[in-house]
Amino acid sequence: MKWATRAGIHIDRAACAWLIRRHVDKEAEFVFVTDPAEVPDDATPFDMRGVQLGHHGGDCSFETILRHYELTDPVLWKLAEIVHEADLDDERYDAPEAPGVDVVLRGLSMICDDQRILELTGPLFDGLYEYHHRGMLLGREPS
Amino acid sequence: MTADRPPRDPGEWVLLSYRMPREPSTPRITLWRKLKRLGVAQLSDGLVALPADARTREQLEWIADEAIEAGGTASIWIARPATHAQEHELATSMAAARAAEYQAVIDHATQATGAANTAAVVRRLRAELRRIGRRDFFPPLERDRAHAAVHALTDEPGASVPKAASHREKNA
Repeated sequence: MKWATRAGIHIDRAACAWLIRRHVDKEAEFVFVTDPAEVPDDATPFDMRGVQLGHHGGDCSFETILRHYELTDPVLWKLAEIVHEADLDDERYDAPEAPGVDVVLRGLSMICDDQRILELTGPLFDGLYEYHHRGMLLGREPS
Repeated sequence: MTADRPPRDPGEWVLLSYRMPREPSTPRITLWRKLKRLGVAQLSDGLVALPADARTREQLEWIADEAIEAGGTASIWIARPATHAQEHELATSMAAARAAEYQAVIDHATQATGAANTAAVVRRLRAELRRIGRRDFFPPLERDRAHAAVHALTDEPGASVPKAASHREKNA
């Protein structure tokens, strides 16, 4: 399936692409557009104005996608807190990782194109997932 | 500035024009708080502005969608002030708003000097400085003074001594 989002991706779009590829559509192919009118007819748009998979009711797009596809994995919802704070920074959650992850993504956007950012952030989000997954199993900070 | 240098054109600004239903008031207040947090300059009733870049534009676009979801109307514009004076006025009002916020941090830091729980105050003020910094597009002089005031607080012997002292007492 084809998925489309705005070019010049930052934290929310990078995290959404990771989430889509891992939990919604393993064959996901991403296209990046500068104008909503450029979204191909056969692509599902996300993290863009006026689309179903965007910000809604105070949620960032990552949270919207979790709700839309009924993904209830608590580790994914933990990651959602980090993405939400990095993206919206409204202090709804206590996510100390957020400012760091945000800076990493902003820095990458200065030196890489969007496809490359997705390649690099795949393992980043895999690692964050694994860390919080172990943390939840142990009930404390994993070593 | 030298007289022979050609004046820079006024920069691009992103404008959000919006209108929200008066009732219910909660979404309207929530939206206004979000705009305040972004540090917008209010141009007139229902018209706010930020210097345009990818991030500020995106922030205002999401807020525009939020206004529409709440039954209001909103549109986003990229605009250039017609004169330097107009841009200067905008920047000055934004800098003044941040200066007041930094001054509050300076006042807090000054009050906390020598107090017992300095470490907790430092944590809170650092977080506040980060929040202000994110909406500070035209840093006023108060910025450096506020950072210095909070930093001075971390050098206060009072910041770490009480904890160590109570520890010693316990072991005495």
